[in-house]
Amino acid sequence: MSVQLINPGAEVTRRGLALHTTISAAKGLQDVLRSNLGPKGTIKMLVSGAGDIKITKDGNVLLNEMQIQNPTASMIARTATAQDDVCGDGTTSTVLIIGELLKQAERYLVEGLHPRSVTDGFDLAREELSRWIDETALERKIDRELLVEIARCSLATKVVSDFATVLSEIVTDAVLTIQREGQPLDLHMVEIMAMEHRTSKESRLVKGLVLDHGGRHPDMPKKVTDAFILTCNVGLEYEKSEVQAGFFYSNAEQREKLLEAERQAVDDKVNKIIALKKQVCDDSGKGFVVMNQKGIDPNSLDLLAREGILALRRAKRRNMERLTLACGGVAVNSVDHLTPDVLGFAGVVYEQVLGDDKFTFVEEVENPYSCTIMLKGPNRHTIVQVRDAIRDGLRAVKNTIEDGRVLPGAGAFEVSAWKHLQEYSKTVSGKAKIGVLAYGDALLVIPKTLAQNCGFDQQDAIIKLQEEHIKGNVVGLDLASGEPMDPVATAVFDGYTVKKQLIGLSSVIATQLLLVDEILRAGRDVNKQ
Amino acid sequence: MMGYGPQAGMSGLLKEGTKQLSGVEEAVLRNIDACKQLKTILCTSIGPNGMNKMVKSYMGKLFVTSDAATIVRELEIVHPAAKLLVTASESQEKECGDATALVIVLAGELLEKAEGLLRLGLHTSDIIQGYEKAGLEACRMLPNLVSYELGDMKNVSEVSHALTSCISSKMHGLEDVIAPLVADACISILPANINTFSVENVRVTKIPGASVADSMVIKGAVLTSNAQGVVKHVRDAKVAIYTCDFEMGQAETKGTVLLTSAQELMDYNKGEERNLEEKVKDIVDKGVNVVVSTKFGEVAAHFLDKYNVMMVKCPSKHEMRRIARSTKAIALPKLQPPTIDEIGKCDVVSVEEIGSTRCIIFKQEQEGSRVATIVVRGSTTNMQEDVERCVDDAVHNYRGMSRDPRFVAGAGASEIEAARFVDKMGEKAPGLDQYAIRKFAEALQIIPRVLAQNSGQDPGVMLSNLIAAHEGNNPYIGVDIDEGTVCNAMDKQIVDHLATKMNAITLATEAACTVLRVDQLIMAKAAGGPKPRDMMGPDDADEAP
Repeated sequence: MSVQLINPGAEVTRRGLALHTTISAAKGLQDVLRSNLGPKGTIKMLVSGAGDIKITKDGNVLLNEMQIQNPTASMIARTATAQDDVCGDGTTSTVLIIGELLKQAERYLVEGLHPRSVTDGFDLAREELSRWIDETALERKIDRELLVEIARCSLATKVVSDFATVLSEIVTDAVLTIQREGQPLDLHMVEIMAMEHRTSKESRLVKGLVLDHGGRHPDMPKKVTDAFILTCNVGLEYEKSEVQAGFFYSNAEQREKLLEAERQAVDDKVNKIIALKKQVCDDSGKGFVVMNQKGIDPNSLDLLAREGILALRRAKRRNMERLTLACGGVAVNSVDHLTPDVLGFAGVVYEQVLGDDKFTFVEEVENPYSCTIMLKGPNRHTIVQVRDAIRDGLRAVKNTIEDGRVLPGAGAFEVSAWKHLQEYSKTVSGKAKIGVLAYGDALLVIPKTLAQNCGFDQQDAIIKLQEEHIKGNVVGLDLASGEPMDPVATAVFDGYTVKKQLIGLSSVIATQLLLVDEILRAGRDVNKQ
Repeated sequence: MMGYGPQAGMSGLLKEGTKQLSGVEEAVLRNIDACKQLKTILCTSIGPNGMNKMVKSYMGKLFVTSDAATIVRELEIVHPAAKLLVTASESQEKECGDATALVIVLAGELLEKAEGLLRLGLHTSDIIQGYEKAGLEACRMLPNLVSYELGDMKNVSEVSHALTSCISSKMHGLEDVIAPLVADACISILPANINTFSVENVRVTKIPGASVADSMVIKGAVLTSNAQGVVKHVRDAKVAIYTCDFEMGQAETKGTVLLTSAQELMDYNKGEERNLEEKVKDIVDKGVNVVVSTKFGEVAAHFLDKYNVMMVKCPSKHEMRRIARSTKAIALPKLQPPTIDEIGKCDVVSVEEIGSTRCIIFKQEQEGSRVATIVVRGSTTNMQEDVERCVDDAVHNYRGMSRDPRFVAGAGASEIEAARFVDKMGEKAPGLDQYAIRKFAEALQIIPRVLAQNSGQDPGVMLSNLIAAHEGNNPYIGVDIDEGTVCNAMDKQIVDHLATKMNAITLATEAACTVLRVDQLIMAKAAGGPKPRDMMGPDDADEAP
């Protein structure tokens, strides 16, 4: 073959075989993820090279952790990751739909249809659906109730259902806390802090901050109420000068003085903070907390502890930012000219010790724009699983707030899209019509898989759904009974952005894959030798 | 030539060396099998008559123990499903410090029962649902079985009775020795606010020699080192604690001494010494006669000796904090004379020889020490370590009591009773999960069964006797391990801590359900590095693909 002439080490897979390889890889990947879809999907256990265990249902996590090597499969996996980057959800669906699109296309390809005709149809269908989705989306008033439902639908596919109910309230409240009129939502302002403690059901939302370290002095208070909070970035320890410097002295007194002077510089800074504390607290029983991004040396800690000040050193950069958002106040870079208005305020600051780890809770703040989801779990793998789920839940809530509309869930959207494409295909002429119909059929994989994972007969379920839709009722699959149900009445919603993105992404990648007629690999496979 | 031929399934997609197991046969049943093995290992170690295990760790250290937490930790389990059970028992250890074996054995038994149900054709989701319901029911009804409530947290004999069952399950025969020790130690440091009791404040020091019966409680801190100077014994000590080194101050900035003649050098050294002596004198003038510091400079030591001050070198920050707590001193970060408040008081600070080990003992004779140390004696290190673990568990148990003083009947009685309730609930349950609920009840019976088995009795006979007794409305009837009959656990004062038991059941249920939920295992090729030595026992066999 010609490639071999140019590069004798190259490998090549051509034409029909190339297409077949691609399609079977896509189907393979689909098979892997199929069992994970929906609230009743099963869990996969991933064991890393180092023996770490990860337990997950999340498509995105799976695709990232599975170390996929097949080129087609990894392309699909990357598309799914893109889906996750944009909307944080719908990865499993993406993989399923891509696989199904290729599978449907294969039916026609074996009959001799040129891939181009199929992809033309896919393109038409995609454009039509992108337009139609705007019509079919339900405009809803975005209130807490709706957001909780949305979060619950998203989370139920990732964690056990009763826990999803708990979690959905937490993520919704978290997003609503950080929401500010007229500003884009920044989910980084929701910190997820994990504690290996008790059970995951005891997770909660802390309107305020949780820091994963504590006061460094045994005599510092463990709990401070009505606390002023000074957020600062000042080194309360001896700092080396930039220039190479030394001292010369010739007797012990001089040396003593030198030692004293050296301390003096740091003590002065500490005393300024203490002066401020005395000014604002003034024996009124109020507390004072110092959060410092830089270090505080033992001597300074001691001075602060004597004044009953709780001081935390080496706070994380991002926490400094969030701290001022949560408690108010301004982060200061110097202790000169401190005034009471730079201080934040929190109702209570307390420390909790878990084994060797210390956590500091800053709570009861007045008007927080930053909050923390305190995630608890008996072991690491549970925490990791829940953390991934929370991330997705937050994204789902955020997307809904931004979209202002939702789609009926439980497979209802896919079936009605199928119905719409059936009608639309009548307006399309030529071979592209086949592509449009194939696209519609491919979408049905979602309700089919949902039915399968709940232990129902795929065909039964899908036919019932199709019949209802043809009658004009928008229905989804009831996962408990296998019968059609009204997703709006039972509050099962899907995100608008998720589906829109899904339709765009999956057909683009399917089109690309179908148009591949040669797979080349230059050089030798280093893995095989 | 063909790099990526169309291979079926997933194996073609993944990196080489990745193992993948899926479905009920391959994944679920195999996982269950691994967990069963783990359970089998631990079963024989349950209860007072449980056997010890000898585990030689990767590092070559030998452990002889029947403590489940230690066994599983040192076994270095690699099978992912078995590891899930181990993590569950670890979190039990963290939360309650006891009943770790119960977690693994119950979870293992639940899985074993689930295997039977799976073979009958039940779907995993039904089993999970049933187990979860049953687990909730068991935890809901256990508080109704409370048979004993610890009245006085400060009564040594009451507390020792409550601790007996926890201790005797690890060190049978020694409970009468250890329980009063632990009770005494814990009570002596019980703060006014009972909820703030910290296990940190009860320390264990192991000193080889003599026998376990010679162990004792010292109210105060014990350091296993010798005092540095000549003073070895101080009564009515006034203690100053320094977190810095006790010597001439060190500057952060580099300093150079500028000298021009030998005389200047002499003067400089003299000056330094004088300086230090002044400092020492200042401190001594405050009445201090014991100094604790991380390190003593030679010159400083000389002056302290001169003023008859005892020197205690304590390089560990934690130890130092404990001494501070016990003497109520405030640690000073730099060499300065302490104020009255900062000076700690201790009745006796003395160097004593226990066995052939010299220890510095900070003894508080009257009430109010905030640290207590249990000096564990024993003939072998292994023995001592086992006692230490046992004491540790018992102290955790005491903490548990301080939070929740409720107890249920021990000796398997509460398990049988709980099983009875869960079984009744299963009878009423309408769905397919009723099978799982009833299996859960059966699984709860594993505890009395194992207790009987380990005591050389016929578990079947014992169990039927127990059930008969419980049906006859005797909820406190449990296994009598000595007589081979049933006995009233309350008469024998065998009680288990309620919260610990509930937590264990919750964790075991959760772990078993997690294992059942997994239907696919994807294992990456093990990362490089030397393989751990082959000493894992039956678990290794499960690793083969």
